[in-house]
Amino acid sequence: MIARYIGRRLIQAASVLWLAATLAFVAMKLTPGDPAQALLAASGATETEIAERRTQLGLDDPLPLQYARYLWSLAQGDLGQSWLHGRSVGQMILEQFPATAELAISAIIIGTALGLALGVLAALRRSTWLDTAATALAVIGLSTPTYWSGLLAILLFSLHLRWLPATGEGDPRHLLLPSLVLGCALSGSIARLVRARVVEIMEEPFVQAARARGIPPWRVLLVHVLRPALPTALTVVALQFGFLLGGAVVTESVFARRGLGKLAVEAILWRDLPVVRGVIVLGALVYVLVNLAADLAQAWLNPRLREELA
Amino acid sequence: MKRLIPFLVLLSTLLAGCCDPLPPATPTATPLPFPSSGFTPTPIRLIYGLTLAPSGIDPHVNASSELGIPLTSVYDTLVYLDPESGEFVPGLAEDWDISEDEMAYTFYLRKGVTFHDGTPFDAEAVRFNLERITSPDLASQKARFMLGPYERTEVVDEYTVRIHLGEPFAPLLDSLSQVYLGMASPTAVEKWGSDYQLHQVGTGPFTFAEYVPQDYLLLRRNPDYAWGPKIYQHETALAEEIEFRFFADPATRSPALETGEAEIMGEIPPQDAVRLMESEDFIIEAVPIPGVSLMFFLNTTRAPLDDVDVRQALLYGTDRQAIVSTIFRDTSPVAYGPLAANTFGYEPAVRDYYAYDPTQAAALLDAAGWIDTDDDGIRDKDGEPLVLDMFLMSWGHMPEIGQLLAAQWAELGIGVNNQVVSYPEALEVAGEGRHHLIPFNLSGSDPDILRKFFHSEAGFNWSKLDDAEMDNWLEVAARTSDWEEREALYSQIQLRVMERGVAIPIRDYVNLNGASSQVEGLHFDAQGWFPWLIDVTVTEIQ
Repeated sequence: MIARYIGRRLIQAASVLWLAATLAFVAMKLTPGDPAQALLAASGATETEIAERRTQLGLDDPLPLQYARYLWSLAQGDLGQSWLHGRSVGQMILEQFPATAELAISAIIIGTALGLALGVLAALRRSTWLDTAATALAVIGLSTPTYWSGLLAILLFSLHLRWLPATGEGDPRHLLLPSLVLGCALSGSIARLVRARVVEIMEEPFVQAARARGIPPWRVLLVHVLRPALPTALTVVALQFGFLLGGAVVTESVFARRGLGKLAVEAILWRDLPVVRGVIVLGALVYVLVNLAADLAQAWLNPRLREELA
Repeated sequence: MKRLIPFLVLLSTLLAGCCDPLPPATPTATPLPFPSSGFTPTPIRLIYGLTLAPSGIDPHVNASSELGIPLTSVYDTLVYLDPESGEFVPGLAEDWDISEDEMAYTFYLRKGVTFHDGTPFDAEAVRFNLERITSPDLASQKARFMLGPYERTEVVDEYTVRIHLGEPFAPLLDSLSQVYLGMASPTAVEKWGSDYQLHQVGTGPFTFAEYVPQDYLLLRRNPDYAWGPKIYQHETALAEEIEFRFFADPATRSPALETGEAEIMGEIPPQDAVRLMESEDFIIEAVPIPGVSLMFFLNTTRAPLDDVDVRQALLYGTDRQAIVSTIFRDTSPVAYGPLAANTFGYEPAVRDYYAYDPTQAAALLDAAGWIDTDDDGIRDKDGEPLVLDMFLMSWGHMPEIGQLLAAQWAELGIGVNNQVVSYPEALEVAGEGRHHLIPFNLSGSDPDILRKFFHSEAGFNWSKLDDAEMDNWLEVAARTSDWEEREALYSQIQLRVMERGVAIPIRDYVNLNGASSQVEGLHFDAQGWFPWLIDVTVTEIQ
């Protein structure tokens, strides 16, 4: 039964990938600007030489043929060569992926921890100054663009306090500042939803009953309240993964980290279609897999869902 | 509860990282101790911040200026251009001569030069490199076109090589002096194929030691280097290793320098540069870049800019000094003509044109029939308002310049529609002539660069010129190797551009480099972009 469920989800995943690749293709074709011209204009190449390059890149062929070739090579797992870099796209992505994954994962850990803590705290001390402060923090995290909070964090922690290096990578210290910035931005929406869910659960009869049985308050919180609230947090985290991939782009640039974000921005600016395709398909793949994993984890955390599946 | 434990452990590990503070900022470079004691000195490693992670860094394939900053020290070129005298000096070629018809260049190569991988450098290596660059399979984005009407390379003997051209091409030596035509090891190129750019091998003063794309690039001093051009002055230089790191966001560059994360940093934003200039701990090395100044090209085929009076009114009505002061904090010179003032062949008489004179601008517009009849603040003629479409790219402070121009011209009753577009889109818009105004600048040491902008068939002919005489001057100047004849032609060309008012020069590009004041000997080649790292040294830290 569970196998059939996963199978269904994988077919869904394949169609998401096809859709993402197609959207990327259409968007790149609708964007004005000719890649061959962008590559060669400043070099003083003649019109004829630029036209030759256009033919070489297959940009003269009819669109349906270009699209078919685009999907066919993708289906074969061939990501092609970057027009701008002249290197294999698969290899370029492999070089950048670990840096982005590292940032995304640590931001998720920080964002979830912070979001859970703020959300629970706000729910427990509802309508006190603590609630207001936690809510304010969440809203600030949610609404501050990371390029701005990133610069503020650099100013404070690197330039004034000199605790952490501003840029670069290597040891965990380099990772801490960017993942804090991204994690804080992430924590806002988690905190808001966790707070709402915890408030709801606290009203439930089984919580009242647990309290009445004399179970210590910390145990009521951890076992009876937090456990049913976790699936909510998990769904938000998985859904936020898309935001995270986007936020990572900006964060990477502010903290001078490498990563897929930089690669994607450059490729879009130069109309480097093979690289755009590679990054978008990979992003879609990761997003689909993370959400699949989250759904499976949900089922594991929530007995009712587990039964439905079985 | 049990499930929470690993999570809490993870969290506490993460938080523990922030508890021990970093030591106060000290430059990572440590001077070599005097060899009195027995221990091996740590090599000096300088960190050099670049502005972008170069996109593809094979100089034969890719086109960015960024790639040349590190790689100028990895490769040697056949000749070098002395920025002081403007003369070409020997490099890998000890001497050269040019045939009577100027279509064959013979180079006599230096003997005893080896690539970093031990491959000997000879005439065959030169032929291999030029064939590689011109091969269609390589899909070169710049180097191929720098060779102009290249036909083939002939190996005359082991140390003599002859380049044959289809027609005379005066900029050839200038091209051969640049890293894009640097000499790569044929062995390494064949061994690594399409991965060569990760494993580059030249004959230069530094070896290409480690490269992690978009993270860092490490160069290490080449101990065998004994064939540098006379323009290198490396007697006192100490830097053993140079690590390039990438700072794409302009706002992060000066902080990285100030926290000691980099000793040298390229392209500091003007406001930060002005601040650093006042500090004793930093030096600002402002290098003017030769080439075509930042200028706004006026579409001479689209009304109302097809009227020379309106174009001249725009030129008179532009307060360039105000733009340079406000946006560039006076770190760049005002541009007066199409060529930057330090470009060979620059005609100083361009300074006599179009001094800021709003009264003159208004008079020209009045005379051309543009008068504000409906009192809406915008001049009009035959019911058409005087509104211009301006397209801008996001880099080089172009959006801010566009805003200032719009404000200055608004006072003259000229409206401006500003639109920021990407580079490929700008090429398309300007190619189709949908613009009134669009800015660009391009670096290059040879005045032939003017041909890319003012020849009727040029890719950047964004003024939409169709001037047979100008085309002829540009073509003749590109073919003539007699410098005085070229100079006379380029002078005519520059003055013609100004007389016809086809572009508004704004500023000469200046590369603002910041460095810790312990860095000495940082200077740049004739292009203004490429540092001679072999000359860089670090003074003793107090």
